Amino acid sequence: MFIADIRKDFYEVVANQRVVLLVAPDIDALCACKILQALFHCDQIQYTLVPVTGWQELGTAFLEHKEQFRYFVLINCGANVDLLEMLQPDDDSIFFICDTHRPVDVVNVYNDTQIKLLIKQDDDLSVPSYDDIFRDEDEEGEDSGNESDEGSEPSGKRRRFDEGAVERRIERQRAKREWEARRREILFDYEQYEYHGTSAAMMFFELAWVLTKDTKDMLWWAIIGLTDQWVHDKITNMKYVTDIATMQRHVSRHNHRNEDEENSLSIDCMRISFEYDLRLTLYQHWSLYESIYNSCYTSCSFKLWTLNGQKKLQEFLADMGLPLKQVRQKFNSMDMSIKENLRDVIEESSNKYGMKDIRIQTFGVHFGFKNRFLASDMVHATAALLESAEKDDSETDNFIKALDALSRSNIDRLHSGIALAKKKLIAIQQTVASCICTNLILSQGPFLYCYLMEGTPDVKLFSKPMALTLLCKYLLKSLCSFTHGVLDVEKGTVIVVGIPPESETSDKKNFFGRAFEKAAESTSSRTLHDHFDTSIIELKTEDRSKFLDALITLLS
Amino acid sequence: MFCEKAIELIRELHRMSDGQLPAFNEDGLRQVLQEMEALYEQNQSDVNEAKSEGRAKLIPSIKLRHCCLLRNQRCVTAYLYDRLLRIRALRWEYGSVLPANVRFHMCAEEWFSQYKKSLASFMRSLGGNEGLDITQDMKPPKSLYIEVRCLKDHGEFEIDDGTVILLKKNSQHFLPRWKCEQLIRQGVLEHVVS
Repeated sequence: MFIADIRKDFYEVVANQRVVLLVAPDIDALCACKILQALFHCDQIQYTLVPVTGWQELGTAFLEHKEQFRYFVLINCGANVDLLEMLQPDDDSIFFICDTHRPVDVVNVYNDTQIKLLIKQDDDLSVPSYDDIFRDEDEEGEDSGNESDEGSEPSGKRRRFDEGAVERRIERQRAKREWEARRREILFDYEQYEYHGTSAAMMFFELAWVLTKDTKDMLWWAIIGLTDQWVHDKITNMKYVTDIATMQRHVSRHNHRNEDEENSLSIDCMRISFEYDLRLTLYQHWSLYESIYNSCYTSCSFKLWTLNGQKKLQEFLADMGLPLKQVRQKFNSMDMSIKENLRDVIEESSNKYGMKDIRIQTFGVHFGFKNRFLASDMVHATAALLESAEKDDSETDNFIKALDALSRSNIDRLHSGIALAKKKLIAIQQTVASCICTNLILSQGPFLYCYLMEGTPDVKLFSKPMALTLLCKYLLKSLCSFTHGVLDVEKGTVIVVGIPPESETSDKKNFFGRAFEKAAESTSSRTLHDHFDTSIIELKTEDRSKFLDALITLLS
Repeated sequence: MFCEKAIELIRELHRMSDGQLPAFNEDGLRQVLQEMEALYEQNQSDVNEAKSEGRAKLIPSIKLRHCCLLRNQRCVTAYLYDRLLRIRALRWEYGSVLPANVRFHMCAEEWFSQYKKSLASFMRSLGGNEGLDITQDMKPPKSLYIEVRCLKDHGEFEIDDGTVILLKKNSQHFLPRWKCEQLIRQGVLEHVVS
């Protein structure tokens, strides 16, 4: 059921209890986790934090902890499946789920006792009403009860009643069949598309705000969570802008104290500011040229994999009057005269080249003299740390590293994350260029398909879901709907990611999740639907071709 | 030269200055004691000679040997006392059950157990009926609960009110400080400062 008052129904319930936090591996979940941890530290609520990377790990963690803990908080996992059936908990386990995955499973919505959803009842949830899906079992009982009653009456009367009873029974059965057909249709419509809702970090920040325990750190984490949703294309532009406005109110409330000259805060204090900044990833920590070359938006607009595109880029730079030598330097060492009006100059020129949205509303933080970061920088750095493909580190190690990088006291970890993110972006750019140039993208009927072979450079980087998704979206920018497969050598499986069609007004609803499930069933391919995003699955290499065939027939 | 063996003993302890306990140097100690015995014998015979025959020329050498004896005694007692202090520090560092690698070097087991007993009875006598564990919280703590991260799989861990926590690698927990201190010293948990 949905929780009405998050303070009373969630926070005060767990106030004197021990809690298990099960956190999914994405940046929004990490930020939400940090906020919740900070709140728990304030109030000394004992907890245990367990990172979970998929359904199996979730199940294992639950089994390990169910004896000792009653309260489980699931962050960014668990809303879109029937949790009670999957985990089979005892009656006194209570689950608090704060998840951005939609659609929320109907059982989770209508269960009153064990599942509490920390989700706002937005307009876009459109959960089917109770009566449409669940039918009281009493009516069946009445049916059989009537029949047995009638059976015991004397035979004479029975014959007369029988016809009436039979008619009524037939009527009831027909109504029941109709109701079931309608139910199936409603559920199919409801569960067809997968999309994302409000960021979990923002939900927990609101909780902190209601408790008046919010700090600038928590606000910054909430902003990072929101920006993660935007960077990885999980929410629409409209929603992003609306949520930014909400965050802007909080930011101005926190910045209220900096107003006067006399009592200015020390330079080491954290300041968050609203920026209408450029959409070039990591440009303040890189050189401007590299950033333009490797950002998704600019690279696709210029079509930098062609020679023509590169020439256009040179023209663009010349148009703005930026000498090449300056532009290839590290951003911090560029001339001040160039840096001053950079954003306006770039915006003007990019309008000429057809890039209308080169600037985007976002937030930046700075503390100390050296440390300035934009929210998207943090997202890229933390994502790179979370999915770094080092051999020795397990996934939970990466999780811990990424979690650490979000604290202000671990700046060097953040810098190493930025370095990794740069490598990742360069790898994505090169792979995209090679895919398009060597025509690796095949048209398979209703969708386009691209398969990265074993020997491709940086293929290890792309065996992680988030990096792969970024690559796909990059590839997608000028094309229509798309799936993508990457070979994971060790396990002999392929990771398949499905991306919905790209358009200006797309509502980011992804139908590939259900399509994958049906295709896997119909061909009995050996698939592993372990990731919390249903549009990412692992598939045995041998089954790849028949799976694709099934997918083609399904979607056409 | 006299007293050199004694200085060797002292140097050995001085080399391991950070509180580690080297093995008990029985040989060195025995040699020093033998030297002391030899000096004493010589002194005895010389004193008898000087007394009986009145040869005052022997007196400086008697004095020299006497000084050497005193120096040897001082060095040996310093050696033993320093080892004692280090063993005492072990009790405060590791608690009443010492890990195996530390116990290997010690030979003063008896002294250690006596010390443990007297410390325990002292602690019991404080704080009313329950006693007070003064080996906890050597520095004033900043908070009652701390966040710890598990560095290796340690299995189940019970806290004061009976709840059992599963310590798995890379899980983080928010636990009462006093329960975690032992495990932090052992290296199973790591204190996370954010």
